[in-house]
Amino acid sequence: MSDPIRGQTAVCGLGITEMGKVYGHDASWFAGESIKLAIEDAGLQKDDIDGLLVNPGITGMMGTGISIPLQNYLGLRNLRLLNHMNSFGATASAMIQFAAMAVHHGMANYVACIFADAPLQQGGSAGAAYGGAGRRGPSGMASLMPAFGFYGANTSYALAARRYMERYGVTNNDLGRVSVTQRRYAIDNPHATMRQALTLDDYHNSRWIVEPFHLLDCCLVSNGAVCTIVTTADRARDLKSDPAYVLGMGQGHPGNLPHAEVEVGTTSGATIAGETAFKMAGLGPADVDVCEFYDCYTYTVLRTIEDYGLAKPGEAIGLYPEDPADPEADLPRINTGGGQLSSYYMWGMTPISEGVIQARGSGGSRQVEQHDVVLCSGNGGTLDTHGTLILSPNAN
Amino acid sequence: MAYDKPLPNPDASTQPFFDALQEHKLLLQYFPSADHFQYPYSDRCYKDWSTDWEWRESSGNGEVYTWVRMHQVYHPSWKAEIPYTLAVVQLDEGPRMQTNLVNVDVDDIRVGMRVKIAFEDITDEFTLPKFEPA
Repeated sequence: MSDPIRGQTAVCGLGITEMGKVYGHDASWFAGESIKLAIEDAGLQKDDIDGLLVNPGITGMMGTGISIPLQNYLGLRNLRLLNHMNSFGATASAMIQFAAMAVHHGMANYVACIFADAPLQQGGSAGAAYGGAGRRGPSGMASLMPAFGFYGANTSYALAARRYMERYGVTNNDLGRVSVTQRRYAIDNPHATMRQALTLDDYHNSRWIVEPFHLLDCCLVSNGAVCTIVTTADRARDLKSDPAYVLGMGQGHPGNLPHAEVEVGTTSGATIAGETAFKMAGLGPADVDVCEFYDCYTYTVLRTIEDYGLAKPGEAIGLYPEDPADPEADLPRINTGGGQLSSYYMWGMTPISEGVIQARGSGGSRQVEQHDVVLCSGNGGTLDTHGTLILSPNAN
Repeated sequence: MAYDKPLPNPDASTQPFFDALQEHKLLLQYFPSADHFQYPYSDRCYKDWSTDWEWRESSGNGEVYTWVRMHQVYHPSWKAEIPYTLAVVQLDEGPRMQTNLVNVDVDDIRVGMRVKIAFEDITDEFTLPKFEPA
């Protein structure tokens, strides 16, 4: 039994800016470019936009990200819905969910959901951009972290991955199979930053970051923005571009308590979020055609596949070919744009933007033929927060 | 050579914890109403929201919950140590602690390996609670 909101709302506009090492602009500028592209894609006018939800990325943690003032920067004077939302990588899903509920109940007609970020500086590394975010000398027990040499998200995800790998006998070569698979897709994605071919040898030869993670286990850091416009299904049908209907939505937030009572690192919020979204959609894991999963690290993809019930615990790697660089290899329909590992790092908007493209059937040479049910995930913290969207070209 | 890595920075609430480390004692917060040990410091028990607690000395025994080898330099003082071992230790009392593993061959480290505390006096003022094979 599906929910009454199933198929009643849609993403009607998508704007993806230039991505990656694009210098000389702040996050607001990218946000402005993304909403311009999105209203053009939808065939809307600026004044049609009556809802604005924003999510800054790394620049938000640095204090220079987009927030409520974006309304005035964009001169949006008709807003009936406005918020700055944050559940880290789950925010993009959450924004679209909030927007969908709002338009369904008449609180707004066209809600622009924007992720924008510009942490990369010319001459600075991606690691500097991320490692520097929010680094002020901590006090109390938190000060033990730098005293022990713990730094950054790479470390906390590597710790999670190690526990998973030892438990299930998953190897670095397995993680490499995820990385190489996604690069194959990125080669066909004009928005992607990393489009040169990759082999498993390249993966193994890439430098260690935090063992068990090589460089090619870790996502990019990107400057850019993605805007999605959410409206009702009835409005979306009459607009310029094909709608991506929202069939299911869910969230799951297990948190991250450091105690024996709580398994951390080998579980995510996808289990709860997925159950909620599948129930709303009246669908199950077996109905999914395409997966766009939050992939801050290769490991996160395997974790997410299993937590949605698409593979048994420890068996997600079985969906991947032994050598995904082999042109004959049959690639899983997972992260078909290259994901954050190879295309662009827009937090939860990376999987959702590719999910909209796949649901519309506009993926060009990387388009998955069967794309009726597109499962998109967002994930934040160290597997602490999770959001799910199920998109489809069909409202029914 | 003088110790140049980042030093702990106690605040009023955690000063007793850092003082006890200097005496080679590991303290945990114990909340009697929930019979619950908690780490890191919080002014409230996350189980029953009680604010009544006392410091209790930990056995210092536990097992490796997970571990990694750090190869990236985030702070120049770590450069000479790269790669170094970071771990999360599951204490027998329940809480998990981030720490370093010492006195162990990296090839021998496994999830589930029994460990015990190894206090390291890094300066006259500070001692770090590291762990070694039990």
